[in-house]
Amino acid sequence: MRTYTLVWLSLVILTGVAVSTAGMDWGRWSLGITLFIAFVKSGLILNYFMHLKDEKQIKWIRWLIPGILAILVLFMGLTFLDIAFR
Amino acid sequence: MGNHKNEAYSRLGMWLFLLSEILLFGGLFILYSVYRFQNAQIFHLAAEALNRPIGTINTIVLLTSSLTMALSIYFLKMEKPRRSLFFLFSTVALGVLFLINKSVEWSIKFHHGVYPNAPRLLERERGEILFYGLYYSMTGLHALHVLVGIGILSGVGLWMMRGRIHHKHVLPLENSGLYWHLVDIIWVFLFPLFYLIT
Repeated sequence: MRTYTLVWLSLVILTGVAVSTAGMDWGRWSLGITLFIAFVKSGLILNYFMHLKDEKQIKWIRWLIPGILAILVLFMGLTFLDIAFR
Repeated sequence: MGNHKNEAYSRLGMWLFLLSEILLFGGLFILYSVYRFQNAQIFHLAAEALNRPIGTINTIVLLTSSLTMALSIYFLKMEKPRRSLFFLFSTVALGVLFLINKSVEWSIKFHHGVYPNAPRLLERERGEILFYGLYYSMTGLHALHVLVGIGILSGVGLWMMRGRIHHKHVLPLENSGLYWHLVDIIWVFLFPLFYLIT
């Protein structure tokens, strides 16, 4: 129970960091920073709230999310190869 | 032991469903990235017109609902069904609060004449029309997911009160929890991409 509360606290703090950095002008870095924070937050939710790290019965379940993200990144990359060089 | 294996495969089924949800939203995120790439400046200006305080509050509301969801499962496993029910219905209440905030936010926008296909919106630049198109379809689809989640969690709550879900049969609560957390994760990405563009 303590772990859950700590995870929740870090999620709220990370949200605060994301909102306050959005107020500053970081130029090209700001998108990278917000996305990085979003990925850290979803990692916390997946591993602690959704217990992905405790999945003992079928161990490869934990590879599903990285797998689907890799597919999405691939498709995004292919799309941008198209629109950027048109 | 066999039962454990069954539960694991049931969770696997849930995860596969969640993957299809990620692909559904993923397609929209790719669309978003292309239009943002093509209209970077206009997206930035349009995002500043969004209600950042309401967006931030809703982020905190959903994150807290994820905590109460996790606690509900935790207490049911600890054989404390009353506390578990309390946290389950807190989750439902926070979901409803999220939708109330969302409708307040949308009705302010509607009041300013910014809604899909609104004549005043269509007079604006193409990039801004695209931004609001994406904003309404993506947050709308997400709000629909929250609504479905509220329905599922209430149903599970009623089952718990009838004693159909208990500490030896936590699976339905766990799987609906997985769905609720995923809806939270999708918001974790929607929020910065729409409200925090700089």
